[in-house]
Amino acid sequence: MALFRTAEIIKASKLPPEGVRLSRMIDAVYFLPIAYLGVFATFHMHFDLLAGDWDFWIDWKDRQFWVTVTPIVEVMYPGAIMYYFWTFYRQPFGATLSITGLLVGKWITIVFAWYWWANFPANFVMPASMVSSALILDATLLLTRSWMLTAIFGVWAFAMMFNPTQYAIFGYSHQPVVIDGQLMSLADYMGFTFVRTGTPEYIRIIEVGSLRTFGGHTVWISAFFSAFVSMLVFTIWWQIGHFVGQSFFWVKGKRGVMSRMNDTMIVGTDEFAQRHGTPDGIAPGARVAARTAATTIS
Amino acid sequence: MNAKNIFKLCVIGSLGMATLGLTLMVSALPAAAHGERSQEPFLRMRTAQWYDTRWNPQKTNVNDEAMLSGKIHISEDWPRAVVKPNRTFINVGSPSSVFTRLSSKVNGTPMMTSGPMEIGGDYEYVIKLRGRLPGHHHIHPMLAVNGAGPIAGPGGWMDIVGNYKDFTNPVKLLVGGTIDTETAGLTAGLFWHVVWGTLGFLWIAWFSIRPMFLIRARVLAQEGGDALLNDPVDRVVAFGMLGVTFTLIAIGFFYTDSQYPYTIPLQAGEPKIKSTHLKSDLTVKVLAADYDVPGRALRMTLQVTNSGEQPLSIGEFTTAGIRFLNKVGVANNMDPTYPPEIMATDGLHIEDESPINPGETREVKLDSRDSLWEIQRLMDLVHDPDQRFGGLIMAWDEAGNRHINSIAGNIIPVFTRATAG
Repeated sequence: MALFRTAEIIKASKLPPEGVRLSRMIDAVYFLPIAYLGVFATFHMHFDLLAGDWDFWIDWKDRQFWVTVTPIVEVMYPGAIMYYFWTFYRQPFGATLSITGLLVGKWITIVFAWYWWANFPANFVMPASMVSSALILDATLLLTRSWMLTAIFGVWAFAMMFNPTQYAIFGYSHQPVVIDGQLMSLADYMGFTFVRTGTPEYIRIIEVGSLRTFGGHTVWISAFFSAFVSMLVFTIWWQIGHFVGQSFFWVKGKRGVMSRMNDTMIVGTDEFAQRHGTPDGIAPGARVAARTAATTIS
Repeated sequence: MNAKNIFKLCVIGSLGMATLGLTLMVSALPAAAHGERSQEPFLRMRTAQWYDTRWNPQKTNVNDEAMLSGKIHISEDWPRAVVKPNRTFINVGSPSSVFTRLSSKVNGTPMMTSGPMEIGGDYEYVIKLRGRLPGHHHIHPMLAVNGAGPIAGPGGWMDIVGNYKDFTNPVKLLVGGTIDTETAGLTAGLFWHVVWGTLGFLWIAWFSIRPMFLIRARVLAQEGGDALLNDPVDRVVAFGMLGVTFTLIAIGFFYTDSQYPYTIPLQAGEPKIKSTHLKSDLTVKVLAADYDVPGRALRMTLQVTNSGEQPLSIGEFTTAGIRFLNKVGVANNMDPTYPPEIMATDGLHIEDESPINPGETREVKLDSRDSLWEIQRLMDLVHDPDQRFGGLIMAWDEAGNRHINSIAGNIIPVFTRATAG
């Protein structure tokens, strides 16, 4: 018994073998150079503009703003990309594709811009990794098959798992050190010791002592708040995906009237040809049959 | 491939080679400063008055310590256009982190984070550095003012020799042990990035080994297509991935928590630094000042009163980190290591050079004349929307005690030689 339903799916697609081969070529060309590189380039820029400093510098990774801002910004693109891949292809990897893409872009920047060009050590500019959150989001969509349930449960987990995941990467930086009689976290000291001309200390947007009511549990309050806002933001970006991901054709009918055709899959089929005709008057099925016959003869 | 295509390729190739050749012909010298001359003169002359700046030593080995020290006077005539120094930080202007900063003290108080400074206050800073990246580096003290940006102090050259690979920056942890800021946490960080990245790519690969787009889109458009695409094996894998993900998150979190049981949040307090004030037996009032554009000179008429008990001689006028000295200044305050490109040792001229006696009030005509006004782009003062100048006047008694006055006033440009006299 086959592991996948691939054979059934191919059969149901009613594509001839050459169409199947062509579709795989389209997969390769479309997926890697266009979808993946396009997403990582644009998402990287989008993310760095909105949350870049929190992700670049270790002394920006605080309990309040970093934990709040990063999931909210990082769920935006996945929302739109998940809509597109899920709605048109039922592919549940939109979030993982976006966030691994973002990280590819980030690591290119770290190696070439921060380490090689600007000479900062990689640990000082290491980004957060939300791939774990993305996997949860994608798996939730696949299992629930509902964007609403994904927004409620998946996005909630997406934001809530941010801090525990990052703690494994950045926990060391919160060890206390004493410099000239001043207590600092190691992250503070690294921000102090690695001289940055353009980013003096006061530019940091970090917790300065609010959220007092919650008894010091700042990080979890921030994560909850971030999760709620992320749900809203995910929904909005899912709808943005819907808005920009519409596909339709303007079709000229037999009587010469232009009409909008939302079912794009029908274009090119025999059914379409029967209903609307084709530019050369030959039905697609007849064209394929003729080509197959010619190949067989030769 | 026909002849036409070959010709096209040849043309494109030739253009590419020509572009590459032109690129190689363009001289790309390394930048050797931080754009301090591009800051407006009114900003440089009337915010932070830098003096006694020292870059010590001028040659440092990798891992050896160096010192950047000096004093700043926060000008009483702080410009209206610049946000007041309510949140400031004394920074180091360097091409990347060529030094690491070990400590920073202002008036003896550690200044690890930013804090307010008082207008009219005087601050002595000592910044301890450690050589990190070999090279010939231009280093400035900088006053970063929240809302106004960094204000560059005088720049001096410091050399670092050795090999970067030997560099370490050990820090003692409060809970015991030592950590190197250059590599701390790097292994764990890379490990988790690789783990999550691998899982992410495996997840994508799981779906990309089967037809991904066109075929699925065609099936989805059909009746029952959605159910067909809901492959049971994918659901099993999704459950498995959720389990693995949550388990790994928990392992990472609890393991790290057990490794570092004592942690603190980022610190965001501010230092409370007491200012000192300039001491001088002189009282100096600017009666008039003009800027001789063709003669490249700032000419001041000052009313100077000596209320002390010793005769005093003016020897230096310093502004924007640029020093204009006469013989008195050279004899009393000549630092041979001060960058010569921002110091005019014969740049200060006084009509009557005799000392100002105790109790005497005198009108002093002071002329700071040097090409530095143009080279350092302070002549751009005439283009500023705020035509005032500022600086420090330094005078000495016979025992070598220094008296410093901060001055400021209106300035009138003189555009032509005909009217310059």
